[in-house]
Amino acid sequence: MLSFVGLGLYDERSITVRGRDVLATADQAFAEWYTSRLAGTDVGTLEATHDIEIAVRDRAGVEQHPEPILDAAEDGHTVFLTAGDTMISTTHVDLRLRAHDRHIDTQVVHGTTAQTAASSLTGLQNYRFGKATTLPFEETHGGVPDSVIETIRANRQRGLHTLVYLDIDGENERFMSGDTAAALLASELDDPVGVVVGQAGSDDPTVRADRLSALATESFGPPLHLLVVPGDLHPIEEDSLSALAGLPD
Amino acid sequence: MGRRKKIVEECETLMNTPENIRNIAIAAHVDHGKTTLTDNLLAGAGMISDETAGEQLAMDTEEDEQERGITIDAANVSMTHEYEGTNHLINLIDTPGHVDFGGDVTRAMRAVDGALVVVDAVEGAMPQTETVLRQALREGVKPTLFINKVDRLISELQEGPEEMQERMTAVIRDVNDLIRGMTEEMDDIDDDWTVSVEDGTVGFGSALYKWGVSLPSMQRTGMDFGDIIELERNDKRQELAERTPLSDVVLDMVCEHFPNPVDAQPRRIPRIWRGDADSDLAEGMRLVDEDGEVVFMVTDISMDPHAGEIATGRVFSGTLEKGQELYVSGTVGKNRLQSVGIFMGGEREEVEQVPAGNVAAVTGLQDAIAGSTVSSVEMTPFESIEHISEPVITKSVEAKNMDDLPKLIETLQQVAKEDPTIDIEINEDTGEHLISGQGELHLEVVTQRIERNQGIPVTTGEPIVVFREAPQTESREVEGISPNRHNRFYISVTPLDDDIVEAIKQGKASMDMPELERREALQEAGLDKDTSQNVEHIHGTNIIIDDTKGIQHLNETMELVIEGFEEALNDGPLAAEPVQGSLIRLHDARLHEDAIHRGPAQVIPAVREALHNALIDAEIKLLEPIQEVRIDVPNDHMGAASGEIQGRRGRVDDMYQEGDLMVVEGVAPVEEMIGFSSDIRSATEGRASWNTENAGFQVMADNLQPETIKEIRERKGMKTELPESIDYF
Repeated sequence: MLSFVGLGLYDERSITVRGRDVLATADQAFAEWYTSRLAGTDVGTLEATHDIEIAVRDRAGVEQHPEPILDAAEDGHTVFLTAGDTMISTTHVDLRLRAHDRHIDTQVVHGTTAQTAASSLTGLQNYRFGKATTLPFEETHGGVPDSVIETIRANRQRGLHTLVYLDIDGENERFMSGDTAAALLASELDDPVGVVVGQAGSDDPTVRADRLSALATESFGPPLHLLVVPGDLHPIEEDSLSALAGLPD
Repeated sequence: MGRRKKIVEECETLMNTPENIRNIAIAAHVDHGKTTLTDNLLAGAGMISDETAGEQLAMDTEEDEQERGITIDAANVSMTHEYEGTNHLINLIDTPGHVDFGGDVTRAMRAVDGALVVVDAVEGAMPQTETVLRQALREGVKPTLFINKVDRLISELQEGPEEMQERMTAVIRDVNDLIRGMTEEMDDIDDDWTVSVEDGTVGFGSALYKWGVSLPSMQRTGMDFGDIIELERNDKRQELAERTPLSDVVLDMVCEHFPNPVDAQPRRIPRIWRGDADSDLAEGMRLVDEDGEVVFMVTDISMDPHAGEIATGRVFSGTLEKGQELYVSGTVGKNRLQSVGIFMGGEREEVEQVPAGNVAAVTGLQDAIAGSTVSSVEMTPFESIEHISEPVITKSVEAKNMDDLPKLIETLQQVAKEDPTIDIEINEDTGEHLISGQGELHLEVVTQRIERNQGIPVTTGEPIVVFREAPQTESREVEGISPNRHNRFYISVTPLDDDIVEAIKQGKASMDMPELERREALQEAGLDKDTSQNVEHIHGTNIIIDDTKGIQHLNETMELVIEGFEEALNDGPLAAEPVQGSLIRLHDARLHEDAIHRGPAQVIPAVREALHNALIDAEIKLLEPIQEVRIDVPNDHMGAASGEIQGRRGRVDDMYQEGDLMVVEGVAPVEEMIGFSSDIRSATEGRASWNTENAGFQVMADNLQPETIKEIRERKGMKTELPESIDYF
């Protein structure tokens, strides 16, 4: 049995009760920390809280050599953990398909994810989001990829919001900040309004809306951050951004 | 010094009159006396004393050159010469004759407009005479001929005027056959470039005894062959040299028959530069415009203990001045010229400025390598200089002392910068670095320089031959899947026609040139029209074709796709040797929506593995470098000599009489040729003279493939067993 359990947004308490219960019955636990991570905790704390050893796998250890995970799932109840939800933006459906090929039963236990936070903390309605995109570090892609700009433009043309995930480099503990992202996009997009969300899932999240050029000069506290570039605003969305995110008039 | 300073001043004045400038190279088969001839010219121009000319070898500046008595690097010198009442500035580049150093010759040719080809009167035109002539003509450089060592015909061979004339006529005929054959298809050369005594484009003489004649000089001095024979026979060489000095004869010939930059550049620019012919830049270069944009082609990088790195090359337009900020092709940002100068013998003299049409030696271009285009505006670089031979032999180099590690790496990188025919592979983990070059001697010289000039004691490994891998049939379409399985690439591979490979090797088609021109060049070499329109990249002698249509996001992924292809081609699937001659088609691709899920970690391995699988499906095989061998040997040692070729997995193609010697010609693998020099010496009791030239790569016999592949893999620390799919040997 292979259970995919989302750890939620922020710390060891962001997991659902159901996720906690599944983890409590597991024989073995694996996690990947390269697509995202919990900013408010570490693996040691997670292990202590749930009283289970967690083997952290790198990218190659999940994508190219997932055999140890699948072998364990064949022998007993195995849990695969990621921050957020295991199937949203981390795209671990491949691992589930490989388990399926080996006739291993699988289940998914959801977690709250950045996509939820982008709507719920900003007041932007989830019905009005278009395609999401990830903004990579400048040096890994030689600048801002055209597809990122195209995605935001196309969404805006249709009046839709864009959720922009910000790159993380787990190996070197580097996380793209909201101000860096705003600076990268401001010039490419004739400086529209953006919303930065920081520390989603914590007791005191940051939510700020302003022109991208203005956001580029602010700082939004510790990681992780995400950025939303809104399309046309419904009156209630506009009210939310001024009231909850300090959007200037 | 007074005399020297005066020459520098004279040069500075003359630099501004391109009509009176001649940029020339002297090129010859090894040992035909080109360096001695150069020293004569220097002495004639007052650069070194008369007595030492012929012994000093001023151009052979490196210690090892003077020890070996051969020239290794092309060196440079400027001198002045008065001809018909006008003072001329002659910028001379000396070139090495040993075949291992062919890259230097090709580079030198780009900087000059005329090449004085030196041929030994006794030996006649030799294989390398042909090679240097080809190098000159390919660069649009006009040849003249000097037949050297004529004293030996008179004193050693006791020949009379008639016999001598016969011999010279034969040499001239051979050289002209070569020139005719090579210029026939060159549209830009309308004039007849063959040489003749009547035109004054042929000189004769003895560089060793400093005398020379040509038809114009004989008319002027009234001396004929009879006079010369008599003086030479009676050991009155001093008188001979005084009455008809070699330097006057040769330098007159240079001034009269070689084009000046104003005449040469309009013809040469279209041949060596592929940029927009209608641009101001092209106009500036054609007109040798000293007020135009700066265009400086670096042909040589050398190290000066005081000044640091010196870049030597030809100024095609504009004027070089200290403090200029210049672009260097292939790098970002600009370099600032620290100083500008010219070469006088082995030494560099700083001058205020060097205008278009001259050969300059500058410092401050830290990003430049031999072959760089340096300019005041960003421009299409000069066509990459064609090296006729690729590296064929590799040696490992290790520092004896741990402390020398960083210095050794720095030195090796410097070596590669100075000589682009050297390949360097740095391995910081093991400290065992690899240098690859043109032959045993080439590598030996490089390692000796590291030890002597840099004082780094090194241990070197046995020389190892460089192999290639090439597909033999057409593959099926192969799927490559990224580690996250969200990206898929569909590719196939097929062997590229030899004509197309050759066209790429010669630089006729490269990524440096405008697309349309590249397309035409590839079509001319035999690539079909549709394929030529989809060329995405050329790597080594491999072409990558993008046959996909309208795939979203592929354009921003293409760079990574190419990186994956390049990695696969640099380290082939058999033994991680470079792949050559493959035509790769990308048929289709399925990509993840988000850029982060189709990053380098996904795309590169997917493409790399797909190409390796396709190459294996195309029955990729190992190729080894081969050499053409020519041995001149007395009749009674002929059997032993041909045995030396046949015993080395070689093939004897021809045996014929030439004079009193037999000539044996054949080919043999470079690997078997290691140690040839000492073996042939003992087999023929030292009576043979021989010459080898790299002749490309050839598929190894099937029965040798598995064993050789295993050996290479073992040496490289790879798994020795091959993928199961390789089952065709």
